[in-house]
Amino acid sequence: MSIILQVKDLVTKFYTLDGVVNAVNGVSFELNEGETLAIVGESGSGKSVTMMSLLGLIPMPPGKIESGSASFNSEEGLCDLLQLSPEEMRDIRGGQIGFVFQDPISTLNPILTIGEQISETLIRHKGLSKEQAREQTIKLLSQVGIPDPELRYKAYPFQFSGGMRQRVVIAIAIACTPKIIIADEPTTALDVTVQAQIIELFKELRDALGVAVIWITHDLGVVAGIAERVLVMYGGRPVEIAQVMDIYKDPKHPYTLGLLRALPSLEAKESKRLKSIKGTPPDLLIPFKHCPFASRCDYAFDRCWEEIPPLISVGEQHQAACFFDLEEGGPRHD
Amino acid sequence: MTDVKKLVEVINLKKYFPIAGGLFQRTKRAVKAVDGISFDIYEGETLGMVGESGCGKSTAGRAILQLHKPTSGQVLYKGRDLTQLSSAELRAQRPDMQMIFQDPYATLNPRHSVRKIVGEPLVINGKMKKGSLELKDRVAELLELVGMNPAYMKRFPHEFSGGQRQRIGIARVLSLNPKFIVCDEPISALDVSIQAQVVNLMQDLQEQFGMAYLFIAHDLSMVKHISHRIVVMYLGKIMEMTDRNTLFDDPLHPYTQSLNSAVPIPNPEIEITRTRFILEGDPPSPANPPSGCVFHTRCPLVTEECITVEPQFREITPGHFVACHLANTTGGSKIFIPDSKKEPS
Ligand SMILES: Nc1ncnc2c1ncn2[C@@H]1O[C@H](COP(=O)(O)OP(=O)(O)O)[C@@H](O)[C@H]1O
Ligand SMILES: Nc1ncnc2c1ncn2[C@@H]1O[C@H](COP(=O)(O)OP(=O)(O)O)[C@@H](O)[C@H]1O
Ligand SMILES: [Mg+2]
Ligand SMILES: [Mg+2]
Repeated sequence: MSIILQVKDLVTKFYTLDGVVNAVNGVSFELNEGETLAIVGESGSGKSVTMMSLLGLIPMPPGKIESGSASFNSEEGLCDLLQLSPEEMRDIRGGQIGFVFQDPISTLNPILTIGEQISETLIRHKGLSKEQAREQTIKLLSQVGIPDPELRYKAYPFQFSGGMRQRVVIAIAIACTPKIIIADEPTTALDVTVQAQIIELFKELRDALGVAVIWITHDLGVVAGIAERVLVMYGGRPVEIAQVMDIYKDPKHPYTLGLLRALPSLEAKESKRLKSIKGTPPDLLIPFKHCPFASRCDYAFDRCWEEIPPLISVGEQHQAACFFDLEEGGPRHD
Repeated sequence: MTDVKKLVEVINLKKYFPIAGGLFQRTKRAVKAVDGISFDIYEGETLGMVGESGCGKSTAGRAILQLHKPTSGQVLYKGRDLTQLSSAELRAQRPDMQMIFQDPYATLNPRHSVRKIVGEPLVINGKMKKGSLELKDRVAELLELVGMNPAYMKRFPHEFSGGQRQRIGIARVLSLNPKFIVCDEPISALDVSIQAQVVNLMQDLQEQFGMAYLFIAHDLSMVKHISHRIVVMYLGKIMEMTDRNTLFDDPLHPYTQSLNSAVPIPNPEIEITRTRFILEGDPPSPANPPSGCVFHTRCPLVTEECITVEPQFREITPGHFVACHLANTTGGSKIFIPDSKKEPS
C-alpha cells in the first residue's frame, strides 16, 4: 500500500478581533491509496479547517497556515499542497482532489444548469471538447443515480432536492477521476433515509474507482459503516488514530471512550442512563500548555496539567495522545 | 405503568397552511402539514415523535399547544378541549404546557441577563414580584436544578455554550412547574457529549417532577433511548405508534422498517454485516400528497389498494397501531427478514 497524502504538523490560526483562534494545532496523518479515513470530532475541533488548509480554501486574512507540510503524490510526482501557487492549487482542486461539502449550495452555481457545471469541470481539468464533455456528463449523472440524465442535464440546482444536489456535487467530485475525495460532513444536512442513499452511493463509487476518501463527520454511527481507519480530533489536535474496529472495541484515549459511552444503544432493551462527558469543549483563544481534555477527563493526573501529551504508538497501527493507560488503570510508563 | 392517567388526548388534529395562490385561482390549495393525527399522552410519560424533515412534527407540537390554531380536530388537556377555550382561558392554562426549542439562542433575549430570562415567566404570570428576594431565590434554585452555578445569574446568553443555553431555556420553562412539555428537537444542535448531558437532565427532571414530554427528534436512537412510546410520522400522518422496543424489534409499517434500516449503528461489526433496505427518492410534497396511502410512492410492497384507498390507523395488537393495509400479525407488511430471525451463526 502506498501513501498518497502525508500531512505533517499542520498549524492553522485565525487572527480575529477577539484574539488568535488556535484552530489547528499540529495535525499529522497519512492517507493510503484507495483507503477511507474518517476524521471525527465535535464541532469546533478543527476538522473543516484542516481540510480547507489542504485545499487552499482558508480565507487569508484572518486565517494563516503557520507551519506544516502536506505531501501529495500527484500525477506529476510529489508536491507540497501547502506550497502551491493559487493557480496550481486550482488545477488540483476539483481535478486530482475532489471535494464534497455539507451544503451542496455552496459548491453549485445557482445560475448554471447542472449539466453545464459538470461539463465545465471536464473541459477545464481534462481538456475535453464540449461534445465529449456533454456525453461524459450524462454518464456521470446516471452513475450517481440521477434519473433521466439527459433531461436533468438542463435543470438548475434549485430544481433538485437536497439529496439530489449532493449527488450532483458527487458527480463533479468524481468527474476527473480524482485520487482523493475529501468529503466534509456530506450527509449531515440530510434526512436519515437520504443519508443512507448517499453513503451507499459513496461506497459503490469508492470501490469502483479505487479512490481514497477523507470522510469528515461528527457521527460515530456513520463512521462505523464507511471508514477503514479513524482519526479522532479534539481542540484542533489528533488525540487518537486507529483502525476502525480498534477505535470502537479498544479505544485508548479517554475522549474517544467518552464519546462512545455517550451514545444511546439501539439494541438495548432497557435504557440505561447515558454517560455524559462533563464540562464543555475548550476555548481555542487560549493556547494550551497542558492536555486540552484534562479538565473534562476522569483519568487526568498531575502530568496531564503540566505538558501536552504527544501522539504515541499504543498498539499496532494505533496511536493516542494520552499519558494514562486505560488498560493498566494508571499512568503510562515511557 | 399501572393505572396511568391520560394527560393529553389529540383527536384527529389537522393543521393546513394556505398556499398563496393566483388571483383567479378558484380552488384554494393548502399545505397539509398535519393531516388528522390522533394519540394520547399519559401523565409522566415521554412520547417520542420521529419522521423526516417537513413531515409535520413541529407543526403538530405547536398545534397541540395552540401556538398554531388547528384547522380542525381536538386537543383535550385533562379532559378540557383546548381548541374551544377563549384566549383568557388559554392564558390561564399556559403555565402547565411549555415548549423547548432546538435553538435555545433564538428564544433567549440577548439583552436580558440569565436572572431576567429565567424569572420572567414568574413575573408575567403574576406569581412573584419583579426584583423580589423570593424571585431571586427561585431563579437560583432553578439554575441549580438544571446543573448551573447560580452565580451565572448576572451573565448574558452569548457568554454560554449551546448546551448551557439549552439548560437556561429549560430552567425558564421549569419556572412555572409545567405538567406537559413539547420538546422540539432540543438536542439536535448539540454535540454528542453535550446531548447526553441534556438528555440525562431531562430524564432526572421527569423523575423528580413527573411531567410528560412530547419529544420530537429525527435521531431515532436518541428517541428510542428517552421515550416510552413512539409515533412515526410521514407527510402529516401517523404511520405507526407503539412502545419503544416493539418499534425497533417488530416494526410493522414499511416506512418504520426503512427508517430503522437507515439508522447508522456505531458498531463496525454490525454495520459491515448488516442487511439494509434503502428507500429511494425523497418524500413527496405535503402540498400535493399522493392518493391512497401517502407512503405508496416509495413503498416496496405497494398494491393496487394502497394507491386508491387510504389505510386506517388501526390497532393490530394491544397498543400497537399501524396505518398499512398489509399489516397483520403474520408478517404481511414486512419488507425483509430482520437480522434477529436469520440463521444463528
Ligand atoms: N474564518 C474564520 N475566522 C475565525 N475563526 C474561524 C474561521 N473558520 C474557523 N474558525 C474557527 O476555527 C475553529 C475550528 O473550526 P472548524 O475546523 O470549522 O471546526 P469543525 O471541527 O467543526 O469543522 C473554530 O473555533 C472556528 O470558530
Ligand atoms: N408557518 C407555515 N406556513 C406555511 N407552511 C408551513 C409553515 N410551517 C410549516 N410549514 C410547512 O408544513 C410542513 C411541515 O413542516 P414542519 O412541521 O416544520 O415539519 P418538521 O418539523 O417535521 O420538519 C412543511 O412542508 C413546511 O414547509
Ligand atoms: Mg466543520
Ligand atoms: Mg421541525
